[in-house]
Amino acid sequence: MTELPPHTESELIELVRSSDVRAPDSLHRQVSTMIASRPRRRRLALHPPVLGAVAAAAVVVVVALAVALSGGGSPTLHFNQAAAPTLRAATLSAPPESSTNHAELTAAVDGVKFPYWEDRFGWRSTGMRSDQIAGRAITTVFYSDASGRRIGYAIIAGHPAPRIGGGVVLWRGGVPYRLLATNGAAVVTWLRDGHLCVVSGRGVSSATLLRLASWSDHDASAS
Amino acid sequence: MRTLDPQSLTQHVDRLYRAAWALCGSREDAEDLVQETFARVLARPRVLSGDDELYYLMRVLRNTFLTGRRTASRRPVTVATLDEVVAADPRPLGQPERALEMQEVYASIAALPEDRRLALVAVDVLGLSYREAARALRVREATITTRLFRARKEVARLLVSELAPEPPQIPVARREETRASGVLSSGETS
Repeated sequence: MTELPPHTESELIELVRSSDVRAPDSLHRQVSTMIASRPRRRRLALHPPVLGAVAAAAVVVVVALAVALSGGGSPTLHFNQAAAPTLRAATLSAPPESSTNHAELTAAVDGVKFPYWEDRFGWRSTGMRSDQIAGRAITTVFYSDASGRRIGYAIIAGHPAPRIGGGVVLWRGGVPYRLLATNGAAVVTWLRDGHLCVVSGRGVSSATLLRLASWSDHDASAS
Repeated sequence: MRTLDPQSLTQHVDRLYRAAWALCGSREDAEDLVQETFARVLARPRVLSGDDELYYLMRVLRNTFLTGRRTASRRPVTVATLDEVVAADPRPLGQPERALEMQEVYASIAALPEDRRLALVAVDVLGLSYREAARALRVREATITTRLFRARKEVARLLVSELAPEPPQIPVARREETRASGVLSSGETS
């Protein structure tokens, strides 16, 4: 241990280089979880020139698919635009519970189903709406609880998913959830099967939103 | 050319955390930055041109840090009202005096201008060579030398000034009192 603070540059360098500060155990665990749950891809045993050609072809296919799937949509959908429908009124009737999977509703976007929360959490689906914002189709399902609070759950169609930055990132089950706020409402955003999902509700805490979002992501998409 | 083995990343968590702490100035932000960095690296298989993973991680850490800073500066509504924030590990860092000392050192590094801070973090905290640091930070080696020289000097100065005892001061009220009584007594004698 150094008894005195470093007074010279060489003492400072020595102190900094000899630092043995360990990262918290929680961070070590988190990194291990991320490594274990990373997306795995099949390795191709190809020579560099062949690999280059394959990569170039793959880029063309991915771009073509992205344009086709997104309907020419712009990936620059802003956070406020993505969250806006979750705070608007429903315009369609509520989707019913799926008859094959009791963790899901029948409504879906590109195969990504909306969760069924009524039995487990008491949040009943009450309506739905469909929007086209910045070239993206956004489908939102609304849920209400017994005390009349409301949550909007939006899934944004198309690839690549718009990027959302800022806020605070919390991890649940290897998935990063971004906690933000807009117009006085807490918002949580994350990805499900490459689709941006947004949940938000006035008077509903971030903790509640995060619990609902992470439950539905784990159970509804895994089943 | 070789593919980065994700399992080998676990050995760099501590060093990367120290680097992130020195960059951000807070343990909580450092945890977030390290998580974001690993999330980026693990998003897809990575091919490294050299052997040194640490150099590559420094590059991603730097990019993640700068992107985060830029995003935060132009974000319109980003103040999250949280009821649940997972605080950084509250455990002390081993020996308390040493912990306090490192906290001050990292805080001083975090107070440096961005370019000097990155140079110092790359070389002194992560232990990269000047050449690796220059590649990771996309600057010339000579620039690293200059920035590092200034950064070390500045941190040493900051630490000394922070820890130096302050000269004794007479409170303002007392000084006024003394002055006033002086005037009064001279008036009395006249």
